[in-house]
Amino acid sequence: MAYSEKLIDHYENPRNIGSLDKNAEDVGTGLVGAPACGDVMKLQIKVGPDGLIEDAKFKTFGCGSAIASSSLVTEWVKGKTIDEAETIKNTDIARHLALPPVKIHCSVLAEDAIKAAIADYRAKAQKEEPKEAAE
Amino acid sequence: MDHFARLGLPAALDLEAASLDRAYFALQRQWHPDRFVAKPPEERARASVEAAALNDAYRTLKDPLSRAVYLAGLKGVELPGDGKTIDDPDLLMEAMEAREELHEAPSGEAVDALAAKARDDMNKAMAGLGSLFLANDRPAIRKTLLRLRYLDKFAEEARARRMNLERSRA
Repeated sequence: MAYSEKLIDHYENPRNIGSLDKNAEDVGTGLVGAPACGDVMKLQIKVGPDGLIEDAKFKTFGCGSAIASSSLVTEWVKGKTIDEAETIKNTDIARHLALPPVKIHCSVLAEDAIKAAIADYRAKAQKEEPKEAAE
Repeated sequence: MDHFARLGLPAALDLEAASLDRAYFALQRQWHPDRFVAKPPEERARASVEAAALNDAYRTLKDPLSRAVYLAGLKGVELPGDGKTIDDPDLLMEAMEAREELHEAPSGEAVDALAAKARDDMNKAMAGLGSLFLANDRPAIRKTLLRLRYLDKFAEEARARRMNLERSRA
């Protein structure tokens, strides 16, 4: 099977590998897995005071396509608002990396991971805000 | 017909490898294409369908984990298939940390120790499945099987890592 140059580049030189402090209030963490193939992916975003994603890190244990998909997503989301980042679709990832059909599920994992990271960040931000009309 | 019924075996988690082999080889002889060469085409076709179904049943039931997943399916517990993701934090955190540890293991001995622990965890989880099936506790069956899938994958990765370490030393 022939893989695209972009895919091989992200696999061989993955961007933004690592971890952010998952307990920090400005960090959202998404942890997702695909049990059918045993892949596990962690994707984290750090959101600045201006509402833009200033850093993103990932750690993926899985096949090359899963690693490349998560690497690409961390690159894409930097500098975006979380609303913009949320619109990333697995089909965009698959098209950019020219994933073969049997590897499309790896891009699904990356989309679910960024969505989970955003959901985690939002849940934290909501907790932090003073409740209006609470009592 | 489910795989157990096809082999004339009770649909149970525990299955002796010898009884499975006996049932399979007897039926395989019965439906072997060589016995149907002189038969009419319908019978030949039926024999090849039966032989294929038998192979499928045998393959599924021979491995304890794949047998447990199949039995769970019969009881209405479906595991996520290809392209389906899960977000169970406990389970995924355990899988992530284990894979990190394996990735950082400095020596063959360290890899072996991790693999032995994973095998131990798998055996314990498999042993616990029996009572979960008896209680028909579907959520717990599902969770245990997902965990077993990840432990199984870990064992596979540990074998690959072991081979790489040996190769780089040679």
